[in-house]
Amino acid sequence: MVTFAAGLLDATVQAATVLILAGLGELITERAGVLNLGVEGMMLAGALGGFIVTVLTGSHWLGFGVGILCGMALALVHAFLCITLKSDQVISGVMITLLGGGLTTYFGSAWVEESIDGFPEVTLPLIGEYLVEIPLIGEAFFRSTATDYLALLLVPLGWFFLTRTNLGLELVSIGEDPETADTMGVSVFRLRYLAVLIGGGFAGAAGAHLSLAFSGLWVPGMTAGRGWIAVALVIFAQWRPSRLLIGAYLFGLLDAFRLRSQSLSLSLEPGTPLASVFNPVIDFLTNPQIMGTYPYLATIIVLTYAVARTKGDRLAVPDALLEPYTRETD
Amino acid sequence: MVGIDLTARENVPRWLNYATPVVTILLALACGAVALLALGVSPLAAYWTMFGDTLLSTFGRTQTLIKAVPLILAGLAVYLPLRAGLFNIGAEGQLVFGAIAGTWIGLNVELPSVLLLPLMFVAAGTAGAFLAGIPAWLRAKWDVNEIITSLLLTFVALQLQSYLVRGPMQDPTGNFPHTAQLSAAATIPEALLGVHAGLIVAVVAVAVTYVLVRKTGLGFEITFVGANDAAARQAGMSRFKIYLLVFVIGGAFAGLAGISEIAGLQGRLRAGFEPGYGFTAIPIALLGRNSAINVMLAGLFFALLFVGGSSMSVAYGVPAALVEILQALIILFLITAEFFKRYHVDIEFDRAGDAATGGEA
Repeated sequence: MVTFAAGLLDATVQAATVLILAGLGELITERAGVLNLGVEGMMLAGALGGFIVTVLTGSHWLGFGVGILCGMALALVHAFLCITLKSDQVISGVMITLLGGGLTTYFGSAWVEESIDGFPEVTLPLIGEYLVEIPLIGEAFFRSTATDYLALLLVPLGWFFLTRTNLGLELVSIGEDPETADTMGVSVFRLRYLAVLIGGGFAGAAGAHLSLAFSGLWVPGMTAGRGWIAVALVIFAQWRPSRLLIGAYLFGLLDAFRLRSQSLSLSLEPGTPLASVFNPVIDFLTNPQIMGTYPYLATIIVLTYAVARTKGDRLAVPDALLEPYTRETD
Repeated sequence: MVGIDLTARENVPRWLNYATPVVTILLALACGAVALLALGVSPLAAYWTMFGDTLLSTFGRTQTLIKAVPLILAGLAVYLPLRAGLFNIGAEGQLVFGAIAGTWIGLNVELPSVLLLPLMFVAAGTAGAFLAGIPAWLRAKWDVNEIITSLLLTFVALQLQSYLVRGPMQDPTGNFPHTAQLSAAATIPEALLGVHAGLIVAVVAVAVTYVLVRKTGLGFEITFVGANDAAARQAGMSRFKIYLLVFVIGGAFAGLAGISEIAGLQGRLRAGFEPGYGFTAIPIALLGRNSAINVMLAGLFFALLFVGGSSMSVAYGVPAALVEILQALIILFLITAEFFKRYHVDIEFDRAGDAATGGEA
């Protein structure tokens, strides 16, 4: 039971890193008023780009960097369309996901047979060896890849950036009320570009983590919907980094549990009263595919609850989300 | 100093309306040519295989029409809400729900074909309408963004399908993730040109949508709500009713797309049976956004792209993913072109430059 729990936690941390990276980027982009539904495509670009460079050079970090750049390259297309050309953000995003999936499948087919040794799992310097000894959570949290630690570090940094720095506050202001921000001298266009590029970079990093640390392989479509879960996660987190972290672990735990639910039977003993009633229900609810619907259902419920409760007044959703900004001209 | 001056166009020149789809498709094909060259394939030969050979062979034309059935129906599922200013990006899920419900009826109900097939279609339409009704109701009632909810419900539907074909609906004779084969009575018969009768359903759906949008009072309300929500409310139109209506009818069309694909072509429901028709429906609806007839034409074009793409893939050993790239590029160029339709762009070259002028003054 203890080994099961430790393994579960380990898998949770691994699954959560991808969601934290991609989700945090999406959160920053959305706070600036731009919805990016291209996360999945950008992640795939990052996964393939990072993988190819790592195979060619043998350097994980170079691959990771190129993965970030690949995500940003697709994000630049999104930014140009949505900010400069004021196109529909939903259409652009969905098409970029399609484009990213198509391009990586097309050009990645030659790389399917390759494999690499992923990012090594390391302990933190100095205190790491003691932290690993912590029962249950030690191994899961403190023997991880560098990218796992990076993702964790980026959450407080992201929070600090958005709430305590001038640039971050300006960025949030253009997501709420771009007209006023513009009047105050904030460059709406430039900052929105920045926000979309940051989001693309994070998505690329999430993808590169998948191919470089998580699997050590390239498989077409390997993100398997995680980009969409990241989009859902931002809503689930009500656009707050701290809740995003909790949500990522929650969704990560669900993902880890779902892959292991077969090995752990939660059914009641045959003799227990009502076992015949409860067991089919438990079996249904812990079925891996059924558990796969939980993140999406939870997000719909949270979104509906938040909207219904606040009647649109105090909702955390950035006011100017989905609205292209056009400067008033005489 | 280069100055760019944007002025909103008051009316779009007529030639621009016709030229846009053609130009965007040509541009996308030009980009695709670069991708083909990158893998050492002659673009002209590849495109000839893709379009020429497909259109010139009976087999190619038949396959294109078969492929067009789910694409047109799913395209309508996105098109109709779009008329009312709503975005249904969950046609994929509605299609899958329709396929599940229709297949279930086909496998579990014993009736003669004349009764069974209509029942399957009704069940499929109802299931699609049900799944589409959720985001519509949430939007109409509480203003919950329908884009997000319809998208998320798609993934719920896909997981549910995956569960069913591995569990309650699995073929009892094997261990594969698919249902049993539909009986002959539950199979849609061939109608014309070697294409199953789903084609007739698709054409009727196009006609119904066309008449609904263009010729009825309800259609006027839909377009009015889509154009100006506030004014529509002033005029006493019910936004609630319209929102629910366009999504429910759209979802039903997507459901019909699902069952036509299963009962007309594949014969059984498989895990991952369809290659994203519901997502391709978005480009189709956007390309054909002006009328249901255009949606049908766009659906035929994308069907050609799919069929031609796979024969090109076989002939030249190029990944069929090129079709996805082309699809995405067509729409990305299309929304780029929208900008030039909406704005008149003047580029002014001011030789003196602002700084110099300022200095003299």
